[in-house]
Amino acid sequence: MRASRILGARIHRAGRPVRTVSSMESQTQPRNKGESMTKNRWGFDDLGLGIGLRGTHYAHILSQRPEIGFFEILSENYLDTGGRPLHVLDQITERYPVVMHGVSMSIGSTDPLNFEYLAKLKALAERTGALWVSDHICWTGVLGRNTHDLLPLPYTEESLAHSVARVKTIQDYLERPLVLENPSTYLEFAASDMTEWEFVSRLAGDADCGLLFDVNNVYVSAFNHGYDPVSYIDAIPADRVCQYHLAGHTHKGTHIIDTHSDHVVDPVWELFGHTIRTIGLRAPLLEWDADIPTFDVVHEEVLKADGWRRQEVANVA
Amino acid sequence: MSPEQPDLANLQRWMHEVVVHQGTIDDAVASPAAESEIPADRLGEVILPSHSLSPAERVGVYHGMYLMRMEEAIAADYPVIKHFLGAEVFDELVRDYVVRYPSRSYTLNRLGDHLPRFLLDRPDWSLGGFLTDLARLELTMTEVFDELQSPVLSGEDLEAVPPETWETVRLEPVAALRLLSLEHVVVPHLNAFHHERPCPKPTKRPSRVAVYRRDYSVMRLELSRAEFDLLRDLIHGVPLGDALAEAMAGSDSARRQAKVFRWFRTWIREGLFQSLVTA
Repeated sequence: MRASRILGARIHRAGRPVRTVSSMESQTQPRNKGESMTKNRWGFDDLGLGIGLRGTHYAHILSQRPEIGFFEILSENYLDTGGRPLHVLDQITERYPVVMHGVSMSIGSTDPLNFEYLAKLKALAERTGALWVSDHICWTGVLGRNTHDLLPLPYTEESLAHSVARVKTIQDYLERPLVLENPSTYLEFAASDMTEWEFVSRLAGDADCGLLFDVNNVYVSAFNHGYDPVSYIDAIPADRVCQYHLAGHTHKGTHIIDTHSDHVVDPVWELFGHTIRTIGLRAPLLEWDADIPTFDVVHEEVLKADGWRRQEVANVA
Repeated sequence: MSPEQPDLANLQRWMHEVVVHQGTIDDAVASPAAESEIPADRLGEVILPSHSLSPAERVGVYHGMYLMRMEEAIAADYPVIKHFLGAEVFDELVRDYVVRYPSRSYTLNRLGDHLPRFLLDRPDWSLGGFLTDLARLELTMTEVFDELQSPVLSGEDLEAVPPETWETVRLEPVAALRLLSLEHVVVPHLNAFHHERPCPKPTKRPSRVAVYRRDYSVMRLELSRAEFDLLRDLIHGVPLGDALAEAMAGSDSARRQAKVFRWFRTWIREGLFQSLVTA
């Protein structure tokens, strides 16, 4: 019931020490960082391998305490509840580092910002000691109505200036850097006068925010719009990237939908390899939101990322 | 020279109207609400085609996912209504519902809050009253699921109350407790759903249910009229002495006393109260 969409003690844990990553993950830390392995500008740690926290895995995580570098929570599932989700989350934050990932900030919308939502988000970040708060470069609705979808923006000077101003306001309010994810998109606006990667890079620079670089989203959008994903990756400012996302998708023949419903496909793993060679080691997070398998299957999938990370560390060393 | 492009606000109002439209994508693009923002014949000037999809097909990807998302959200909160109606009728219901009550929140968790009222307002539904009661029960379960956790009053706490204060003491309920008085019997429909059995026929007969949370699981307790009345009085802050006097009035005192004792034992065991408030 309400497992996938669900849902405060104002315990400030932001200063608590980060849990030590497993020995295996520790081995993948770069020992001799080259130019391409620089950290992001906020000095956020590479947390090791992460998994998106889902209700169906609560019991397994609490009983088995799997070796995971961090969990990413869907912020909206914990904002308006005092029930089991929050009870479980409190236990998880005692054992693992947590980052928050939301879908409702609507950065690009022409509607006013929702400060009721932002207040709850800030309170949750304080309660969980979230290392960072992320959302998407998109808009979700207008005129007070919400489609609950991540809708695409035209990549124009107008929408860039609009989004930059809103990100700055949000960061001031949250009193922490906001980390934004490049979306999967299914259409392109004729009004766009710059590429998506140019928009994303300029947004991060002008608003002084972080980036959550979703490698699968680059693959999906590159197929849907017919561009070279490597050009996208090569253009991203490495010092802005705080985290990576990996996920499976659904290929419809004519287009790809970002469903988070399957294993990561090989071409996306190859792009991930190129990404860590270009941008550096950042915390990779596996998302699995539909047809969710057992925790072990999801864990096994994210462990594949470690092979790519080890290879890159070996190359740098 | 490229045609003049809509500004950001104009573009978003247009796309929103197209995405939430109930008809086909062609109907959506040609709808008055969308046309008032961008004429349908300008679609190709606003959305680019891809190597495999037309502009309409591309915006249609978003349009096609909207209702699926709404249906999934309402079904998550009203699984028994869906079980009773069947998927096809349920999906039609959701389509009508979101036209009248589109999401205006950052969360989908409150999208279904108006469903009981919506069901009651449908004159074409002979089962509107029954469905409203069933929806009230399911909605209440979602509210209880999300309520704040409270401390729980134990039997020992109760026994520690000095006898001389019993008359004036008040019992404070836990936050995750709701009482429902319904015109129909609906709990068997929940049971049928959970046991994957066919739903029984609706029965119009008053029923009363306490919905509460124990160990973070949502529970329900069917109540008799007298039990409901006493519990309601206590929840509303009536002093224990007055509430008990009302419950015992005009009845065989020994038998009623035994019943009331059993009720209290159940309520304490189930954790319905959090504290005692003395005057």
